[in-house]
Amino acid sequence: MRLINLHPDRGTRLVLGLAPFGALMLAYLIGSAVRLAANPADKLLPALTTLAASIERLAFLPDPRTGDILLWADTLASLARLGWGLGLATGGALAIGLAVAVLPLARAALSPLVAFVSMVPPLALLPILFILLGLGEVSKVALIVIGVMPVMTRDLALAAHALPREQIVKAETLSASTWLIAIRVVLPQILPRLIDSLRLQLGPAFLFLIAAEAISADAGLGYRIFLVRRYLAMDVIFPYVAWITLLAVLLDIGLTGLRRRLFPWSELRA
Amino acid sequence: MSRLEIRNLWKEYGQQIVLENISLTIAPRAFVALVGPSGCGKTTFLRLLLGQEVPTRGEILLDGQPLPREPGPDRGVVYQRYSVFPHMTVLGNVMAGPEMKTARFLGRRFGAARRAIAEEARAMLAEVGLAGAEDKYPAQLSGGMQQRLALAQALMMKPRVLLLDEPFGALDPGIRSDIHRLMQRLWNETPMTVVMVTHDLKEAFTLATRIIAFERRRDRPEERDRYGASVGSDIAVWPPRSAGGPTIWTSDYLPDRDDPILWGPTTGTTRPQGA
Amino acid sequence: MMTRRTGLLAALAALGALTFSPAMAEEKKDFKIAWSIYAGWMPWGYAADHGIVKKWAEKYGITIEVTQFNDYVESINQYTAGAYDAVTVTNMDALSIPAAGGVDTTAVIVGDFSNGNDAVILKDGATLADIKGRPVNLVEFSVSHYLLARALDSVGMSEQDVQVINTADPDMIGAFQTPEVTAMVTWNPMVSAIVKLPGATKVFDSSQIPGEILDLAVANTETVKDNPDFAKAMAGIWYDTVTLMAADTAEGAAARAAMGAASGTDQAGFEEQLAATKLYAKPSDAVAFVTSAELGAKMDHVRKFLFDKGLLGPSASSPDAVGIALGDGTVLGDGANVKLRFAPDWMQAAADGKL
Repeated sequence: MRLINLHPDRGTRLVLGLAPFGALMLAYLIGSAVRLAANPADKLLPALTTLAASIERLAFLPDPRTGDILLWADTLASLARLGWGLGLATGGALAIGLAVAVLPLARAALSPLVAFVSMVPPLALLPILFILLGLGEVSKVALIVIGVMPVMTRDLALAAHALPREQIVKAETLSASTWLIAIRVVLPQILPRLIDSLRLQLGPAFLFLIAAEAISADAGLGYRIFLVRRYLAMDVIFPYVAWITLLAVLLDIGLTGLRRRLFPWSELRA
Repeated sequence: MSRLEIRNLWKEYGQQIVLENISLTIAPRAFVALVGPSGCGKTTFLRLLLGQEVPTRGEILLDGQPLPREPGPDRGVVYQRYSVFPHMTVLGNVMAGPEMKTARFLGRRFGAARRAIAEEARAMLAEVGLAGAEDKYPAQLSGGMQQRLALAQALMMKPRVLLLDEPFGALDPGIRSDIHRLMQRLWNETPMTVVMVTHDLKEAFTLATRIIAFERRRDRPEERDRYGASVGSDIAVWPPRSAGGPTIWTSDYLPDRDDPILWGPTTGTTRPQGA
Repeated sequence: MMTRRTGLLAALAALGALTFSPAMAEEKKDFKIAWSIYAGWMPWGYAADHGIVKKWAEKYGITIEVTQFNDYVESINQYTAGAYDAVTVTNMDALSIPAAGGVDTTAVIVGDFSNGNDAVILKDGATLADIKGRPVNLVEFSVSHYLLARALDSVGMSEQDVQVINTADPDMIGAFQTPEVTAMVTWNPMVSAIVKLPGATKVFDSSQIPGEILDLAVANTETVKDNPDFAKAMAGIWYDTVTLMAADTAEGAAARAAMGAASGTDQAGFEEQLAATKLYAKPSDAVAFVTSAELGAKMDHVRKFLFDKGLLGPSASSPDAVGIALGDGTVLGDGANVKLRFAPDWMQAAADGKL
């Protein structure tokens, strides 16, 4: 039988899916053992027991200096920034994207600006943001908004623009005003796309969050990583990276579930 | 009521002339079928009636008044595809028109007003044979059911003119004859004028009271841009049909192409006139 | 099928082990030094560019590659991971990063100490006591943090009295001009720019804790033990260049201008930074400091600070966890776990002209 026709069954698929994770794990364990044999205090690839002890210290025991449980304090600080940033970006993208898609006048006025702004590399703006908005929360949230909003806006405008012209005309024959076309015909049909767009922007949003926190903060996931990087505390960095990844994966799954629940029709294909 | 007058209508896109000097009068409650080869401008003509396009020259009058330059609730439309909203349920689609007409800010009604509209919508759905499908989404319906839904949605607005753009072109033959029967009944019972674009002559003869064929009088490649289409044939179907009155369809018997009654002498000719 | 998969895993694991294996000390001929831009370390770049490195490497029949890092912490991390044989680092970071990470490290050269290059700056405040209750922007866990701790200590306060906000060093000057920043600890060249801003007052600087913030050139202990020629070459390069730099001659001025340009300022700016640096231009001075009892007292402050901050590692139960061998032969802390060594040997050789 040709390889192209060889389909794994359920069990094999599970094994094949887990195998690369297992291989990475094993490579880590061997690398760690080799390094620790040469230098018991090595920080680069800590042993699993060291990692476990660090996780316990970070996630379950209060920090002796501040009394906070570091992982939760950092997670809350970061998620608050992420929530503000993504919330504002989503709202803004929705408003501008809808206007650009529905109103030819708004399209003429705004789409060159949006196209231009979406090409600005957000991280390059960071020093300007810090000067203009200070080192506090505002500039971090602003970086996330500037980083993800133009892309989402363009994506939404494209999605709205791709709606069949027939639907708009049909709505007009059903006595809809421009406003009603926007909120009852266009908006509900681009909301599923908005959620997908948001899912795709989670990665960049985390990137901007961590970049902003690396520069100035007193709590946050990115802050902690860049702080302990100073003394090569991989036993902190590895769990934090895993935790950020897990958070992003959970957010992604949550958003997909939300879309299925709120917009059941978006799963149907005629 | 709902007399359409088209006077010296021209439609050009830049250098290209699509429709050339069309003058027609369509009687109230007529059922006009527009036929013709692809690219002869029949869909453009329909869009002009709809207000989706604006004439380059000439005018269209509805009961003596110039048509508004954009689509409105006096003219309903059913397309071959994309006529219904995929994000609304069947009931939601049919309620959309009355809801948006009366609730100008939210486009939704609540309480008793909503129940009244829903009642009306359910009756309309029963009328087109969609009772029981109220909570489905359009993507869960067959093609024929989607077109029934589109008709119901359009008729909720009680349009004076119903415009159909190849509405049944994508349906299987059996389903098509069912929906033809429905269309005949709706036209008969609803005070409206129907203009339908079709490429199916059999369908045109089955449904219409009058068949207008568009054609390009000069259709050599080098002439195609500079000469548009105009009315080639204008055929009144015999025996004359009129909506609302007793017709042969009041019986359960549906005439078909091979039926000798329909193929008696006609006042027009099916052969194209002119060059 | 199964054996092939196992084979693949073994290959992957071997690859991992290979990539991450630490530098093993042995006799070798090729050496790598990492350095980063700072007033006290500019001679390394100058020496590399002007043939001084090549001259000494050839004398000992070895090769030395000198790499400049734009990121100081990354250069130390690379050294700790084993990618470099030597690195320029402060005494504090040498203890908290490579030494606490189990990499036995020897200070081959003690070049200078910060004598005003690091400072606590307040906006609208006259004395250090005004810092109470303010947020303080600094690079957390850096010498700035240490300076703050020592400053607060000097007026009977502790870190509980302020709120530390980690801020990246390239953003310090801009940050100081935003309204919410009212206190800052940083180093030169930022300090000299910030004190010129309106409302800025320097309330404490490193000249008040002399000899505690040392600029070193350190090397892997195993490497210099097996290859003393490398350490000798380092000392040769260093004192050749420093002698030139400190000379009040046209060549000296040219060297200072070149180093100033390389650090983003000019000759005057560089000389201003040097003025806030106590340079041990003569190897005998460095030897005298390293072998004095003073060094132990200074390092004791540093290691206590690091232990307080948890920077000696989560398993460290006291400041003694990481042993420090001082230049006079005594050991501070755990003698069985000496990971940082101050060795006067090669500076002594330079003083004696025996290189």
